[in-house]
Amino acid sequence: MNTRYLRYLTLVWLTLVTAGLLKPAQAQTPKRVVSGVVRDASGPLAEATIVEKGMPANATTSAANGEFHLTLKGSSSTIIITHVSFAAQEIKVRDLHVLVRVLLKPEEKGLEEATVVGFGNTKQRGTETGAVSSINAKEIQDVPTSSVQNALAGEVAGFVAVQRSGQPGRDASDFYIRGVSSLNPAANQPLILVDDIEYTYDQLMQINVQEIETITLLKDASSTAIYGIKGASGVMLVTTKRGIAGRPHFDIRVEGGEQSPVITPKFLSAYPAAILTNEALTNDGLKPQFTDADLAAFKAKNDPYGHPDVNWYKAIMRPLTQQANTDLDISGGTSHVKYFINAGAFTQNGTIRNFSTNTDGVDNNYFYNRYTLRSNLDIQASRNLSLRLDATTRYMDINQPYGQNVINDIYNYNDYHPFSAPFLNPNGSFAYAYDTQNEMPTLNAYLSTMGYTRDRRTDFNVLAGFTEKLGDITPGLQFTGRLGYASQQENVLTLWRGFDNPPSYHYNPYNKSYTLNTGPNGGGYVLGSWMTQAGTDIDNQRVNAQLFFNYDRVFNAAHHVNALLLWNEDNFRDDIGSIFHFPLGVPAKYTGYSLKLGYDYKQKYMADFNMGYNGSSRFQGGHQFGFFPAAGLGWNIAKENFWVPLENTISLFKLRASYGIVGSDVALGNQYLYAQTYNQGNGYSFGQSPQDGGTISEGPLGNNNVTWQKSRKYDIGLDFNMFKGKLTSTTDYFHEHVYNQLVVPANLPLILGVGVSPTNVGITQNLGWEETINYHDRIGQVTYSLGIVFTHNHNRILYEAEAYPAFPWLAVTGHQINQPFGYIFQGYYSAADVADPKVAKPNTATAVHPGDLKYKDLNGDGVIDQNDIKPISNPNVPNTTIGTPIKIGYKNFDLSVLFQGAFDYGFFLYGVAIEPFQSQWQPIHLKRWTPETAASAQFPRLTTNPTTVNSPAVYASNYWWINAYYIRLKNLDLNYNIPKKDLPLRLRSARIYLTAYNLLTWSNVKKKYQQDPEVQSNTVGDAYLNQKVIQLGIQVGL
Amino acid sequence: MKKFIIIIVITAAVSGCQKQYESQPLGQQVSIDYAFDTKDSAGSLALQFLNTCYQQALPNGHNRVGGDYLDAASDDAVSSQVTISKVQQIATGAYSAATPNGDDIWARNYAAIRDCNVFIGDIYRVPLAEKLPNGQPAIAAYRSEARFLRAWLYFELVKRYGGVPLLGDTVFTITQNVQVPRNSFADCINYIVSECNNIKDSLRTVAMITGTTYGRITKGAAMALKAEALMLAASPLYNGGNIDGTDPLTGYPSYDATRWQTAAQAAQDVINLGVYSLMPNFKNIFTTQAQPVGANTESIFWVQNGANNSVEKSNSPIGFSSAGAQGNTSVTQNLVDAFPTDSGYAITDSGVGYDPNNPYENRDPRLLATVFCNGTSFWLNRAIQTYDGGADKPGGSVVQTKTGYYMRKFMGPWETAQGTTQFGNTYHDYIYFRYAGILLDYAEATNEFSGPSTDVYNVLFQLRQRAGIFPGANGYYGLPMNMDQATMRAAIQNEKRIEMAFEEKRYWDIRRWKIAASVYNSAPLQGMDIVQPGNGLLSYNRVPVLTTSFKDPQMYLYPIPYSEVVKNPQMKQNPGW
Repeated sequence: MNTRYLRYLTLVWLTLVTAGLLKPAQAQTPKRVVSGVVRDASGPLAEATIVEKGMPANATTSAANGEFHLTLKGSSSTIIITHVSFAAQEIKVRDLHVLVRVLLKPEEKGLEEATVVGFGNTKQRGTETGAVSSINAKEIQDVPTSSVQNALAGEVAGFVAVQRSGQPGRDASDFYIRGVSSLNPAANQPLILVDDIEYTYDQLMQINVQEIETITLLKDASSTAIYGIKGASGVMLVTTKRGIAGRPHFDIRVEGGEQSPVITPKFLSAYPAAILTNEALTNDGLKPQFTDADLAAFKAKNDPYGHPDVNWYKAIMRPLTQQANTDLDISGGTSHVKYFINAGAFTQNGTIRNFSTNTDGVDNNYFYNRYTLRSNLDIQASRNLSLRLDATTRYMDINQPYGQNVINDIYNYNDYHPFSAPFLNPNGSFAYAYDTQNEMPTLNAYLSTMGYTRDRRTDFNVLAGFTEKLGDITPGLQFTGRLGYASQQENVLTLWRGFDNPPSYHYNPYNKSYTLNTGPNGGGYVLGSWMTQAGTDIDNQRVNAQLFFNYDRVFNAAHHVNALLLWNEDNFRDDIGSIFHFPLGVPAKYTGYSLKLGYDYKQKYMADFNMGYNGSSRFQGGHQFGFFPAAGLGWNIAKENFWVPLENTISLFKLRASYGIVGSDVALGNQYLYAQTYNQGNGYSFGQSPQDGGTISEGPLGNNNVTWQKSRKYDIGLDFNMFKGKLTSTTDYFHEHVYNQLVVPANLPLILGVGVSPTNVGITQNLGWEETINYHDRIGQVTYSLGIVFTHNHNRILYEAEAYPAFPWLAVTGHQINQPFGYIFQGYYSAADVADPKVAKPNTATAVHPGDLKYKDLNGDGVIDQNDIKPISNPNVPNTTIGTPIKIGYKNFDLSVLFQGAFDYGFFLYGVAIEPFQSQWQPIHLKRWTPETAASAQFPRLTTNPTTVNSPAVYASNYWWINAYYIRLKNLDLNYNIPKKDLPLRLRSARIYLTAYNLLTWSNVKKKYQQDPEVQSNTVGDAYLNQKVIQLGIQVGL
Repeated sequence: MKKFIIIIVITAAVSGCQKQYESQPLGQQVSIDYAFDTKDSAGSLALQFLNTCYQQALPNGHNRVGGDYLDAASDDAVSSQVTISKVQQIATGAYSAATPNGDDIWARNYAAIRDCNVFIGDIYRVPLAEKLPNGQPAIAAYRSEARFLRAWLYFELVKRYGGVPLLGDTVFTITQNVQVPRNSFADCINYIVSECNNIKDSLRTVAMITGTTYGRITKGAAMALKAEALMLAASPLYNGGNIDGTDPLTGYPSYDATRWQTAAQAAQDVINLGVYSLMPNFKNIFTTQAQPVGANTESIFWVQNGANNSVEKSNSPIGFSSAGAQGNTSVTQNLVDAFPTDSGYAITDSGVGYDPNNPYENRDPRLLATVFCNGTSFWLNRAIQTYDGGADKPGGSVVQTKTGYYMRKFMGPWETAQGTTQFGNTYHDYIYFRYAGILLDYAEATNEFSGPSTDVYNVLFQLRQRAGIFPGANGYYGLPMNMDQATMRAAIQNEKRIEMAFEEKRYWDIRRWKIAASVYNSAPLQGMDIVQPGNGLLSYNRVPVLTTSFKDPQMYLYPIPYSEVVKNPQMKQNPGW
């Protein structure tokens, strides 16, 4: 759909809206006014909504004294009284002259809790046949993190999240529903729908959690089949808050907190570092770098310029950083127009000390600022027609130092040592790492002078829709249309000083001379003038249109039928990319029809049939449209007659099962894989003065038969409620057979001469189980709720067209997706091993020494080489996650605590994270192998050589790969609700709360690596340190 | 119901979008019409496709194999690298079908052959208007260039693997059967030769080359490739020395002397072109652009490399670290010993003026043009110090020479460069075929077919004269008179070794001559340990530096990559692998 259509549609849309609004008023009927009073246990209740049954437009709200008057217009003579925090009540008005007295009771969760399942549909816990879990955003609204996916970890079964970085604005977790199940990495991302419009990961992380009403995960085939070709990796549904009729409510939150790294890395000071440096050099038969006099000077710390000892981490980083969040909600409305308006501002600063001391005042610290605005409007245009208009925009700034990965520089031994340079020279000039190859000016010199890179992004979303009740045709039928538009634009602004390095000097304290750093390649270092550069790096638009019929009716008070018939179309364009770059500017178009049929008999027997028939432009004609059917069956045994004796103990006991097929059209790089592409590159040069001629070459061969990946999913579940809903439990066992996965076949002969596009050959399976248990009760005045949220999954590659491995243990088939491979540690080489020619040795030019890591010679050829690796440890995404939401309430205090843990995953870092002479000297290096400590060593012999058998980068092994786990005190939320009677002025409510995120962490990763256990494994571990946050907030309602 | 009508209108409007699936995804360059545009009379995109063929087919031989010269995998040099280099793995026989050696080009060459075939098949779609200086359409020359590159790619494959699958003009599609068998060695040679014959007259001649077409394949290159292919075919490894009995995949079933005659004739044809001649100065061959744009009359076929200092940086002695020198190539004593004295006598001959205590004096000038020797060679105004503890051999774990020598060949004239500690840029085209090589081919083939005639002697005289060796009273440049065929063979082999060191010749010649087993397995490669005692007099000690190993006979051919044999049941593995 192009813009022409968009404009056309908008026109039609406006016509429709106008037509609806101008519709003549209903004919007058004799006035029938019902009056009453609403109260709760503590007294009269204001702002309850009173609606006439069957006439949603006819509503009013109770006054401060609880009183209301409503003119009945329909024929039902029934009113429904609702209030945000109470259970709805329905009252049949028998006599208009009698005052109706309504006592509202607190809403009881459990049996009747409704879950949003998409496109205006909800499902009751008692009748759901699919695997769906849901959370009210209230549960996570206080978590002091900027992105909603961080706040969800451990709260919802089936949600697996890993937070790879703590950088302000880039700290959103990667997440998966039921783990990883596809060989195609892009296909593992769930479909994210906000108010039924697709969002990207990036867009989701920017949503202000205060805008959100509920979040629902759809996990099995039955619940995701209507999303068909996009449903294979699960669906996350987010619904935003909407206005409730009544006088305007203002809700103001102001929060502020301190952050600090979850792990503060410790590095050895100059004296032990110099000793270890000398030891490694001696081990290699080289001359020690430091004399005894040097060592004495380092120990005495009395020569800060001749023998500097700088802890660069402490010198550059500050222990505490700040974040703050302000949020304003306004909601309310009349029976005709309801509104919810939210404005939020979030700011978070970074971990670098303030070095912008010079006059230019350039702020190059990390920071993140986000401003969000949402307005959700509901208009009851006529008796049957309601309209909605949601508009939201988000603006953010992410700042970081120009050209500098600060954590990497601090960890990187080749950049700076503790004894490389003083923080500043005595005359205040910058020093440089005089004793390194690169002779880089100190980190503070760069940070003081070199500018920043700033990403500035604007997101804009608008959703317009209408719902027409078609009771005229048949009761329970309604028709909805929606048009959504979303755009994202990001601009990168760089403020920098060209390619120059800041001037820096080596100070010689003995003759008090200063030498200007000329760098390893000569040439003077001068401070260049400021330059700016800007460019667009994200620019995309999405248009989504939906039309659907909903039908929901109960026949004879027994047969409940519901149905959805949906037409849906989505257009996505990404306009970045040029012929000189990997083309990103590829449109993606999606269209489809979905049908959902549900039936239950007295909530005892239930059946659902769901299907999607939808297509994607990523495939060629004939392969574009797929049919994705799924069915679910449920049986609530607790409704059977024979259950009556048990009914008081177990009020729900429902078995359910679902089976179906869903798909994924995701292609790596968003490409059209059927198309034969041609790449451009730098070329061969001809001519006397050779001129680069440029090249054009064939890209991977197009695959005409490319089509979607399919998942065949089973899910068996048991839901029960016991002790009057105090104990609720949901258990699911699932099995996914994922086939037709797009993988590049590795079994084609090379004489084909060209790469090929992925083909639909990969097969994996993923199975596991989930458990959500909650028990809530009260002891005297203490209410409490204890929960366990457990997710376990395990995947396995069944086929991926791998080339035949030289040895059976090298095969990836049969193992997990992204299974790490490595050598098997067998202790340290002893002197006898080194001398014994029968003991296998690695294939390097450097002979092994006692204290080197000894690995198993799997193929017995006497050489440790690439053929001696086998599967070790687990992939990096946890297979098991657990969360324990705990809530305790006492009088006006509420405490909620979430412990969250992840198990069964692999963790490994190399290079600047841990290797000597690449990383700074760390405490673990003190536990190195020496002849004296051979028995207790936790680190191999020290060597300067980066390619020995001791290097984790060259010889990844189970010595370095940890079978990791962590347990975190993830969220803590202590609330004090100020009693109504104590509220000053006309405040409706007020509370003060103390919250924390990542407060405590226990992990076995700490034993080896000084990084957060959630950062990306198999890297040098230089991610911005993940942060813990403690925050104080106050919320006031007016 | 009015609203319903409106709704239906919307439905219809939105449904209209359905037909708008992109017929071609935007932003991706798709279909053959993109590269081979039927309206592009300049053919600029099609010629960029040909650039891909050049780029893929002509790897830069400088430090090509894992940062080292391929010759560092022969007995001429070892890698200075601290870790096990790819060339060391080759020299010590540490490779197999499953873990191929660093010179395994199977995948790269078949990819390049495919590129050539695409170009050969589709170039006629382009209405190229360009004409050659002789008025002929240039399109035929471009197509012939691609055919030349394809023949060259096969030649490189055959050297390594014996007979390989010949694909003709086939461009495989994804659904086609790619499981094709190998062709015989004879088929491959015949194919290369017939391609060269067919294309030579449509290629540009040297005279037609201009400042902008410099670097394109010429007629001379095609004729030289034919000569080289025929030399390979006539060589002992294939001609009578088939390592697998009579298997046609690994050579000819029996010896045939006329193969030498054919090869000699092919070399003679190149000589008879009259286009090429020896350069007066040996060093300048490698830093001068070829005729007609440059003065290099010797270059026949090379890979364009432009002007840079990467060879100097990669291979200069490590003491010049401020100039970026990395000292990658450690020349062996074995190669140094192969250079005769400046009178042309072998240093093992007695009474020829060779002084073991002053071993680099009075030697064939090509020695110092090829090797940096301690004290005698100068570089950036300083004498080379490869004695123990010297600036260029400091000891410890840093990369440095393992033999007491570094490679000098190919570098610019930075011996006496005044006022600089940096290397400027020099032309570094890497020459695959040069006239001296064709002369040596001619001499070798003629000697094998008809014995050491005057023509054969003349080739050696020409090369030695150019090298700067004194002709001697008899004008024989130190060569014995009246050599028999075997002695002459050894003389030619040694001359080729020193004349063409590091030009990727020795490594293949010892295989082709079937002497690799004795070269690699006889004794460890040697270096020179030079000690400077207190009295300032240097002492020279030959020391072993690397024990090489060669599995005879299977290492005469590379293994076909293991995965290739597994994926294709028709693909027969080479013997012994």
